Amino acid sequence: MLELRDLSVFVGDKPILHNIDLKVGVGEVHVLLGPNGSGKSSVLAAIMGLSPFEVTRGSILYRDKDLDGLGIDERAALGLGMAFQRPPELDGVTVEEFAAALDASRELTNESALLNMEDFAQRDLMVGFSGGEIKRWEVLKLFLQDPDFLLFDEPESGVDLEHIAAIGAAVRKLVSKPAKDGSKRGALLITHTGLILEHIDADQGHLMRDGKIIHSGAPKDLFKHIQKQGYVAPAA
Amino acid sequence: MSESIADRAGELSGTEETILREVGYDAPASRSATAVLIDHDLRVASSQIDGVEIMPIQEALMRYDWVQNLMFNMIAPDENELLRQSVELLDDPIGHFIYVHDGTKVPHPIQTFTVMERPQGRQFTHNITVIGKDAEVDMISGAAVPGNVHAGHHVSIEETYIRDGARCRGVSIERWGSNMLVDSFSRSEVGAGAEVVSNQIMLAALRRHLSDSKTYIGADASSNEQAIIFAPQGTKRTFELEVFLTAEGARSEHLARMVSAGGEIINNNLLVGQAPGTNGFLGCDGLMLSSEGEIVATPSLKAASHESMLSHEASVGMIDKDKLAYLMASGLSEDRARDLIVQGFLNLNDVYIPDEMRAQVTDMIAAAQSGGM
Repeated sequence: MLELRDLSVFVGDKPILHNIDLKVGVGEVHVLLGPNGSGKSSVLAAIMGLSPFEVTRGSILYRDKDLDGLGIDERAALGLGMAFQRPPELDGVTVEEFAAALDASRELTNESALLNMEDFAQRDLMVGFSGGEIKRWEVLKLFLQDPDFLLFDEPESGVDLEHIAAIGAAVRKLVSKPAKDGSKRGALLITHTGLILEHIDADQGHLMRDGKIIHSGAPKDLFKHIQKQGYVAPAA
Repeated sequence: MSESIADRAGELSGTEETILREVGYDAPASRSATAVLIDHDLRVASSQIDGVEIMPIQEALMRYDWVQNLMFNMIAPDENELLRQSVELLDDPIGHFIYVHDGTKVPHPIQTFTVMERPQGRQFTHNITVIGKDAEVDMISGAAVPGNVHAGHHVSIEETYIRDGARCRGVSIERWGSNMLVDSFSRSEVGAGAEVVSNQIMLAALRRHLSDSKTYIGADASSNEQAIIFAPQGTKRTFELEVFLTAEGARSEHLARMVSAGGEIINNNLLVGQAPGTNGFLGCDGLMLSSEGEIVATPSLKAASHESMLSHEASVGMIDKDKLAYLMASGLSEDRARDLIVQGFLNLNDVYIPDEMRAQVTDMIAAAQSGGM
């Protein structure tokens, strides 16, 4: 469904990602793990085509289509959607107006309770949101956007324990919902705490370090290894 | 019901109603009073309730001798060369007089509109409004031209008297022709303890617009004004605004949100604290949608009392790329994302606009950005 082939990414003249190979099949959920600065968020940004990340080598394929040269909105139109880690404040744009712009007012009404955000319709996007509220909103946003492939950038970090379950349930619901063509959705998810792994059945985990994937394996086992040994590749 | 209703309940054509509805007009039966000036004819001047009089300014001068004292009271004909020429050219003033009697709580908005139907026409209007002591009223005003009128020159004088303790909330929307010249001079006096909320929405293209306004705010009175200003390519708008906090406890907040889509906006604001215990704020925020055009924001403060608290903020910038990227990544096209950001910047949610007009104004913003106005 999504494939990164020998992907290298620069920001300006600084190399960020090196020769990444990653393949997420239809219906699969993959998890990226790694220390701060290892390049996890850069992978998601490069897939979404965000500035200033520039692909200098290799390719990103989504449903066998090369995303090279496509704008952000074109990638979104193909079916990619991303829960941002630090979305910008949008003064004067209410949650309700945003939903209307996406023609998703009904989804806002139907899904906001799942993330305890029923009272947010009149709030300006991200303005005055707490860290946890931003995370819940970013997941709710994906219900409104309804993409076929989901990118999550640390959906549970900064969320209090009370709301972790809500986020987990919402992410699970999003991932298990069929894509528009009736096929299964795919997802690539960054987690720092690993807590989200209690709520979803991830198929594959990847450990990143210094802009490279240094190990891939069963996600829960990989997370347990990291908890004990740190961000080093398990012995073969 | 005033006598002038029967005299001036003229019919508007379907086309006139259509263009006026785009700037806030509704059937006179649903408003407390209505005035519509078409070219040089005050076609409609009607009031639905006791306590609100609305009539041609000439009629008011004849009926009430005190109206003479209000005319050119806050502005002199020789204050400006254009005004002097305009006044000399006209024997009889054209415009409306609105008088809301003391203590009248007006149930529905009073609406006033100016239309120029004659291509390359010249229009000079002088309106006087008196909101009596402790009266409460909402006002909707607008200006419009038919689609075939692109050029002409409109000059207006507005003298508004908000008497002590009155409350007045108003919104004005203009939609002139793309090659028109507009010079508007407004003067307002806000009496002790009165409250004024005033919003101006200026979105459509025109060649040149000069807005010259002075507001005098009395003891414990407050004025809250917001201006939503858009300048597409080929439009130049100049604002010369002065607010005087004349007596103890006077308060003022004036916010201007300006968007240049290739046009030029010059916004010179002066806030003067003339008495102790006065408090005022000027805010000027500009958004440049392209590298063409210009926004010049100059907020100035003048404290003539050591106990006057005055402040200002000004900013001009481009559309934030991160906001644009976020919205596009969320599934919006670039044009739709820009619309949403501009609408957010203009922050219409905080602007008094009658509910039935809100969607219309939103559509106007989108049309203005796409060059459709």
